[in-house]
Amino acid sequence: MTYADENRYPPSAPTGWPLPHPEPYGTPSRHETYGQSPWPEAYGHDAPGYESYGRQAPWHAPDAQETHRHDTGLAALRSAYRLLRRVSTLTALGSFVVYVVLSCYAPGLMGSRITGELSLGMALGVLQLVVTFAAVFWYGRSAQRSVDPLARAVRERSVPTGRNAGAAR
Amino acid sequence: MNDFSSGTQAIVLVLFTTLVTVTLMMCVMAGPDRDDLTNFYTGYLSLTPLKNGLAIAGDYISAATVLSTTGIIALAGYDGYVLAVSTALSLVLLMFLLAEPLRNAGKFTMGDVLARNMPGRAVRIAACVVTLSATVPFLVVQLSGAGSLLTFILDIPHAAGARTACIVIVGTLMIIYAAIGGMRGTALIQMIKIVILLGTSVVIAALVLNRFDWSPGDILKAAQHGSGAGPAFLQQGLQLGTSTVGLLDFVGLQITVVLGVACLPHITMRLYSAQDVPAVRRSMSWAVGTVTTFCLLVIIMGTGAAALVGSRNITAADPHGRTSVLMLSQVLGGTPDSAGATILYSAVAGMVFITLLSSVAGMTLAAASSLAHDLFAHAMRRGQAEPRTEMTVAAWTSVVVGTVSIALATMVQNWDVGVLTTLAICIGASAVAPALTYSLFWRGFTRTGLLATLYGGAACALLLMIFSKAVSGTPSAVFPDADFDLFPMQSTGLVSIPFGYLAGWLGSRLDHRRRAADSREHRRLYEESEARLLAAAE
Repeated sequence: MTYADENRYPPSAPTGWPLPHPEPYGTPSRHETYGQSPWPEAYGHDAPGYESYGRQAPWHAPDAQETHRHDTGLAALRSAYRLLRRVSTLTALGSFVVYVVLSCYAPGLMGSRITGELSLGMALGVLQLVVTFAAVFWYGRSAQRSVDPLARAVRERSVPTGRNAGAAR
Repeated sequence: MNDFSSGTQAIVLVLFTTLVTVTLMMCVMAGPDRDDLTNFYTGYLSLTPLKNGLAIAGDYISAATVLSTTGIIALAGYDGYVLAVSTALSLVLLMFLLAEPLRNAGKFTMGDVLARNMPGRAVRIAACVVTLSATVPFLVVQLSGAGSLLTFILDIPHAAGARTACIVIVGTLMIIYAAIGGMRGTALIQMIKIVILLGTSVVIAALVLNRFDWSPGDILKAAQHGSGAGPAFLQQGLQLGTSTVGLLDFVGLQITVVLGVACLPHITMRLYSAQDVPAVRRSMSWAVGTVTTFCLLVIIMGTGAAALVGSRNITAADPHGRTSVLMLSQVLGGTPDSAGATILYSAVAGMVFITLLSSVAGMTLAAASSLAHDLFAHAMRRGQAEPRTEMTVAAWTSVVVGTVSIALATMVQNWDVGVLTTLAICIGASAVAPALTYSLFWRGFTRTGLLATLYGGAACALLLMIFSKAVSGTPSAVFPDADFDLFPMQSTGLVSIPFGYLAGWLGSRLDHRRRAADSREHRRLYEESEARLLAAAE
């Protein structure tokens, strides 16, 4: 991909820039901005970029192995977070946008009565509120499972090198 | 409209005084030590997730949300239901998307988040300007609403002097809460408020349902009848019309609410006071649960108001229906001057009063913190300010922000300034939301991009708002007689949100080309702080 270019930031930029991330143009759907953008396959290319800093700063050299492990841990955490964010945000925002658009442009469908006076649109609206409780519960559980262990690993690895180890903030 | 005897008014007054006394005492007792910044801005991180969640929910459910949303449901039915859903969803999105990285990146204010990779005074000043432009309109609209609401509740003749007095009293109280209480004091008030609010709403909703023998169908039938709109009450379009532009306006408004409300600085500020990431997650779960419950209750209360009070009576008292909750409680209480009616009306009046007080206090605190922390301590003193000085400045900026808001609210009290709420939310969605999302998730974001997003998004929202239909050209506008409505919508999000995101992206691209070294430095800083951002690792 074009990523390697971007890390180098060629001063003669014009040629280096045409390709990447056109997403923000289509903006209102802001999830896309994190989703695919701006560096979809960043992880693999990320590590070399980081290490080049290590080389610039020779006193980091003994830690190179440690830094690398740290990087892979961080990359795993980053992708886990990204997946969680993408799935949860897309689902929540997507279903709501579909609901609003349907309300506006398919009033016949949303106005159809399901029982008594209750229309489909109203039922869906209330249903979204009720489903919210389940969604929040699901998010908490999945975050606990997928993100928290990785975050703990990153924190623990950074303790030996970190200056004020163990501080929560 | 208010056909209660002076006995009820006396009880309401006593209740108000009690509420003020109790909350003031708690505020003073919980107030921070004089020279501890962390304590003032975050309350020592000492709140449990439940308490912090309730405080977030309290900050989130402003008086405007309670009163306007109920009014819109009562008058426009379906459009109001969608608004209630989007209000709840906004906080859900904040939880899913921003809450955890925000907690790790931030310290006290939004400026801390934005300036973490891009140190510099320009960023701090921009953060402060946007914080003020999002909170002050919200403050003004609620203060000026406080004037007419309190005169309505206490049945004081609608004279200008009485309303000004009410605005000044509420404003003074809010300054005291913010300046003395800090984060911890206002958190306590928010908790009291949310408990009172939820409790009263549950009772009212139960009474409404009970009136109709717990049959949703009957309520909806009565609401269609009472609104005078018939089946249209349960279809989209009563609020903004069903023309092409009206539909687009409606979609734009909902998207703006979803993206904007939860990004407002006084809400994100509460996140920094969570202890760690699991705590912020649990706090947000409580907050979302509370807000969603409340939105369900609002739907019942609004429909009940349409069914039992009727839209003609509601619009007679206030064209936007902001008094519909109060009128509903009068109808539900039964015959005036019976014990039940008095108790119910007093409870609702107390709920409205404490909601008003706490939400303006929270916003004052957010604005004052940004002034003291971003503008004074970092932009003016370059981070060299003594904590004690900064605390004093924060207290005084609360007074300044409060006084300015009181003055503005008094000046605009005769106008219909509900549009300022929309303006605040639009600025939240088009300046704050893009800046936060780019800053947290895009390593290529640069200083120029950030400034372009903040200033560009806010200016775009403000300009479009001035030339929108909400300000001139329609009977319900701020200036119904003037006619400079070039932008055919009531809210600006549909244009200004893409503009905000685009401005940030273009600005960053410009930096990549023109100042490659700077943008490389920003990227390096982002990558260095990523472990802290994602895992709270130092």
